[in-house]
Amino acid sequence: MTSAPAAAAQGGTAAAGTRSLRRNYARHYYGFIVPAAVVVLAVIIFPWIFTLYMSVHDWKIGGARTYVGLANYIQLFSDERFGWSIVRTLWFTLLAVAAPMVLGVIAAICFHRRFPLRGMARTIFILPMMATPVAVALVWTMMFHPQLGVLNYILTSLGLPPSSWVYDASTVIPTLVLVETWHWTPLVMLIVLGGLASLPTDPYEAAKIDGANAWQAFRHITLPLLMPFIVVSLIIRTIDALKVFDTIFVITQGGPGTASETINIFLYLQAFAFYQMGYASAVVVVFFAIIILLAIALLWTRARARIS
Amino acid sequence: MRKFRKIAGQAGFGFAVLMLISPAVLVFLWMISLSLKNEVDNMAYPPVFIPAPPTLDNFIAVFERNDFLTYTINSIITSFGATGLALAVGVPAGYGIAKMRATRAAMLILLARITPGLSYLIPLFLLFQWLGLTGTLVPIVITHLVITVPIVVWVMIGFFEGLPGELEEAALVDGATIWQAFRHVALPLARPGITVATILSFIFSWNNFIFAVVLAGRETRTLPVAVYNVLTFEQIAWGPLAAAALLVTAPVLLLTLVAQKEIVTGLTTGGVKGG
Amino acid sequence: MAIKRRTLLTASLATPAIVESVGAQQPFDWRRFRGQKIEVTLTANPRSQLLIQHQKEFEELTGIRVGSESVPEQQHRQKVVIEFASGRPSFDVVGISLHVSKRLIGRARWTTDLRPLIADPTMTSPDFAFDDFGQGAVAYSTQSDGRLDTLPEFTDYHIIYWNKELFEAKGVAYPRTLEEIYTAAKALTDPSKNQYGWVGRGLKNANITLWAAFLIGTKQRDAVSSDMKLLTDTDDAVWASELYTKLMRECAPPGSIGFNWNECQTTFGQGRAAMWLDGVGFAAPLEDPTKSRISGKVGYGVAPPGPASHHCGMYGSALGIPEASRNRGPAWFYAQWATNKTNQLRYLTNGAGSPARQSPFRNEEAISSSRFPRAFFDCLIESGRIAHPGLPEIIPVTEFRDTLGVALTNMIGGADIRAELRKATDAFRPVLEKSEQA
Repeated sequence: MTSAPAAAAQGGTAAAGTRSLRRNYARHYYGFIVPAAVVVLAVIIFPWIFTLYMSVHDWKIGGARTYVGLANYIQLFSDERFGWSIVRTLWFTLLAVAAPMVLGVIAAICFHRRFPLRGMARTIFILPMMATPVAVALVWTMMFHPQLGVLNYILTSLGLPPSSWVYDASTVIPTLVLVETWHWTPLVMLIVLGGLASLPTDPYEAAKIDGANAWQAFRHITLPLLMPFIVVSLIIRTIDALKVFDTIFVITQGGPGTASETINIFLYLQAFAFYQMGYASAVVVVFFAIIILLAIALLWTRARARIS
Repeated sequence: MRKFRKIAGQAGFGFAVLMLISPAVLVFLWMISLSLKNEVDNMAYPPVFIPAPPTLDNFIAVFERNDFLTYTINSIITSFGATGLALAVGVPAGYGIAKMRATRAAMLILLARITPGLSYLIPLFLLFQWLGLTGTLVPIVITHLVITVPIVVWVMIGFFEGLPGELEEAALVDGATIWQAFRHVALPLARPGITVATILSFIFSWNNFIFAVVLAGRETRTLPVAVYNVLTFEQIAWGPLAAAALLVTAPVLLLTLVAQKEIVTGLTTGGVKGG
Repeated sequence: MAIKRRTLLTASLATPAIVESVGAQQPFDWRRFRGQKIEVTLTANPRSQLLIQHQKEFEELTGIRVGSESVPEQQHRQKVVIEFASGRPSFDVVGISLHVSKRLIGRARWTTDLRPLIADPTMTSPDFAFDDFGQGAVAYSTQSDGRLDTLPEFTDYHIIYWNKELFEAKGVAYPRTLEEIYTAAKALTDPSKNQYGWVGRGLKNANITLWAAFLIGTKQRDAVSSDMKLLTDTDDAVWASELYTKLMRECAPPGSIGFNWNECQTTFGQGRAAMWLDGVGFAAPLEDPTKSRISGKVGYGVAPPGPASHHCGMYGSALGIPEASRNRGPAWFYAQWATNKTNQLRYLTNGAGSPARQSPFRNEEAISSSRFPRAFFDCLIESGRIAHPGLPEIIPVTEFRDTLGVALTNMIGGADIRAELRKATDAFRPVLEKSEQA
C-alpha cells in the first residue's frame, strides 16, 4: 500500500535494479522526512492522543473535567441512537460506494474510446468532483423542495409520481446517495480510466485470434486486469462515504427525525450541539476503529485480487 | 445492414455519453439559472428555466450584504498557505519515503487521510486557544494541513517511485550529496507530480467547510462558510444563495478546466482525495 | 430639555461616595470611548441586518469603531458557547437566544450584570429609559438570582399566519380554539389540488416549538415543572402531541416532516398552505411581492386558547456583554444604541419582529404609515398580553429539543404517541438531572 497503483506497476523494475545502492543510502533519507514528521506529529498525532485522553473523561463545555474510565464507552454501547447511526452509516456507505462504482466503470469504458469532443466531455464529467460540496449541497436542497423544487417538476412532467426526496424518512438516504454519486463518480472514473490506459494490448490480440467476442474479451481480460484499479477506487470510495459530512449536514442535518443521522452527524451533535466533549471523543475512537476495520477488510480483498 | 448497425451503435454510444455528462451540466445550469432570476421566478411552479430578463441583483446582494471580498482573500491565503507549507514539507517527505520504501510512514499518512476531519477539531481548537492563535488565519491554515499534507505526500510517493533512479545514482557516483541529487536531479523530474499535488491540495483546501465553520471568526471566515451563512433566519434567498454558491465554486471549476490534464494524470496515478 | 433632565438625573443620583469617584463628575458623554474598537456578533436575522445596516449612526455618534457579523442561528449558538468556555471570547457584544442559552450563560456567569451600568448616570444615556422595556422581556432577561445579564432586544411570539383567500374560498372561519385549528385545516386540505390546510416545522428540534404552542394551552402549560421535573409523558403532553401529529399527518404537504422555517415559508408564501404557525418575523418576506405570491392576503392570527389556558409561545433574544471583555464600556454603549427607541421602532415598522420596548407600539404615526396591515400590529400587541415562554428554562435545551423532536417525527411516522413520549422522557430525564446537579 506504499505506492499508488500505476506507479507501482512502472516503478517495480527500476526499484529492483537499484536495490543494493538504496540499501547503502537508506538511512540518510531520514532527513527528508523530519519536517513532515513534525507537522504530522503536531496536527495529526497530537489530536489522536488528545482524543483518546478526552474519551475517558466526562467533560461538558463550561463545566469541570472528571476522569470516568470507560464509562463513556459503556454508555456508547448501550446508546440505541448511536447503534442506529452505525447501521445507517453502513447502509449509506454501501449505496454510496456501489452506485458510483458501477457508473464510474461504465463511464471509464466510454471515455476510454476515442470520439469527437472527448476531452471536453471528460472535463465536464469531472467538474462535479471539484465543485465545493457545501455550495452544491445548498443548490440540491432547493432542487429537492417537495412543492416547488425543479426535480419534482421534471418527474411529474415525465408522468412519474413526485418524490419527497430528503423530506421523507424512506427516501432521504437514497437521495443523499444520489448527491454523493453525482459528486464522486468522476473520481472512480478517473482511477479506472488510468487503469484502462495502462492495459497491455497482447491479450486482446490473442483473444481475437481465439474468436472471443467483445463481451467475452471484457469479462475475461479487461475486468481481471482492471481489478487492482477497481479495488483501489473501492477503498477510496468506502473511506470517503463513511466520512461524508458536509453534504448531509447542509441538506438534512441528520433528519427527518434521525433518518439520515450517520456517525459523523451524531458526533457533531454530541460535540458541538450538546457540548459533551468526552462522550464525543469516545464516538471518534469507535468511529475510527470502524473505519480501520473496514479498510483492513478491503486491503485484504485487494491482496486477494492481486494474487488471483 | 452492417453500416446501419454501426450508425445505431454510434448513436447509442453518443446517447450514453450524453447521459453521463448531463447530470453535471444540468445541475450547474440550474445553479446559474437560479442566480440570474428574481425570487418570484425562482420559486415559481412550474419553474422558470430561462431567466427573462436575467438580473444581476443576486450577485449585487451577495456583495452588499456580506464581506465577500474579505472572505475571498481569506480563502486564497488559506488555500495557498496550506498548499505551500504542505509542498515544503511533503515533497521531500514523499521522496524520502519512496527512497526508503518506508511502508510504515506511508501507512501513517494513509491513516491521517482516513481519519474523519471532525475529530481533529476539538483538540486543535483547544491547542490554538492555548497558543493564543484564535482570531487569526493561522489556525485555519494549520488545520488545512491535515488535508493538504497527506495529499501532497501521497501523490509525491507515487511520482518519485515512478521515476527511474539511474540519473540520481549517476549524480551520487559523481560525488553529489543526496540533497544535491534530490534538488538538482529528482526535483526537476518530478515537476509534473508537484503540479498535480499543488492543484489537488489547493482544491480540497478551498472546498473545506468543517474546519473553518468552527474555527473561523468574523475576519477569518472562508468562502464555503460564507456561502452557508447566506442562509439568514426568517428570510428566503434562493437567488443570492445560488449566486454565492456559484461564486465559490467558479474558481475551482475554472482551475479544473485549465488544468484538467494535470488533474486527470494526478488522479489516475495517485488516487487521492482530501477531507 | 434633554440637558436639563440629564443634570437633574445626575444630581438626584449623585450620592457623596459617587461624586468622589472620577467618572461620576462628568455627565454622560457618548464620545467618551471614541477611538476604541469593539466586536459584535449577532444571529443572522432581519433585526441584526437592521443593526448592521445602521451601524454608522453609532460610529458617528460615539467615535467607536464596530466590527460586526451575523452568523446563522445554530452555528452562532455553538460558536458563542465554545468561545465563552475558552475564557477568551473574541467579541464584546453578543446576541443571545434566551430560549436556548439563558440558563447556560447565567449558570456560568459568562455575561456581565447590567444593573450597575444602568444605574450609573455616567455610563447610561439619560434618554435610555429602561422602564420603557416590557416587563415580560425584562423578566425573560433576568436570571433566577436577580442578575440582569442580558439586555432585552426582541421578543418573538408564535402567531398563526393564515391565507385569507383560501379561507374565504372554502368559507372557513379562523379557529377559535387550538382544537379548531385541526378542523379548519382539515376542511382546507385538498391534496388533489396541491392545497393544504396547514404547514409547520416538522424537522426534529425545530418542531418542538409547534408542540410547545399546543402544550401551552393545556393545564400544565410547561414541559418542565418549576421544581425541574420533566412533564413530557403526561396526559397534557399526549394531547399536544396528538394535535401536532394529526395536523402534520393529515393536513400538511408531503415532506413537511423535514421542513424547517424556510421550507414552510416558501410553501406558505406560494399560497399552497392555508395556515402556518411560527414566529412573528416572517411578515416582511410574506408581504414583499418580489418574494411572495400572497402579499396583501395574509391574515395575522393570535394563537387561540387551548382546553385550559390561553397563551402564545414566547421566545426572545437579548444582548450580552462578556464578563471577560476588555471593552465593556464601549460595548455597553453599543447595547444602549442598539436597543434605543429608534432602532426598536425600526424592528417594528420593518416587520422584522416585535421589539422589547413598549414605546414603538404606541407610536401611532409610525404604525399607520407602515406598509404592514393594522392587523399585524394588533396581533403583536394581543400576543404580547398572553405570552409565555415556549421552551423550558433548563441548561440542556438543545438536547431537550432534539430528544423530543425525534419522538415527534417518529409519531408522524406512525409510532405510538404515549410510548414515544415515555421513551423520550426516560432518555432525557438523566440528562436534565445531571445538568441540575453539576
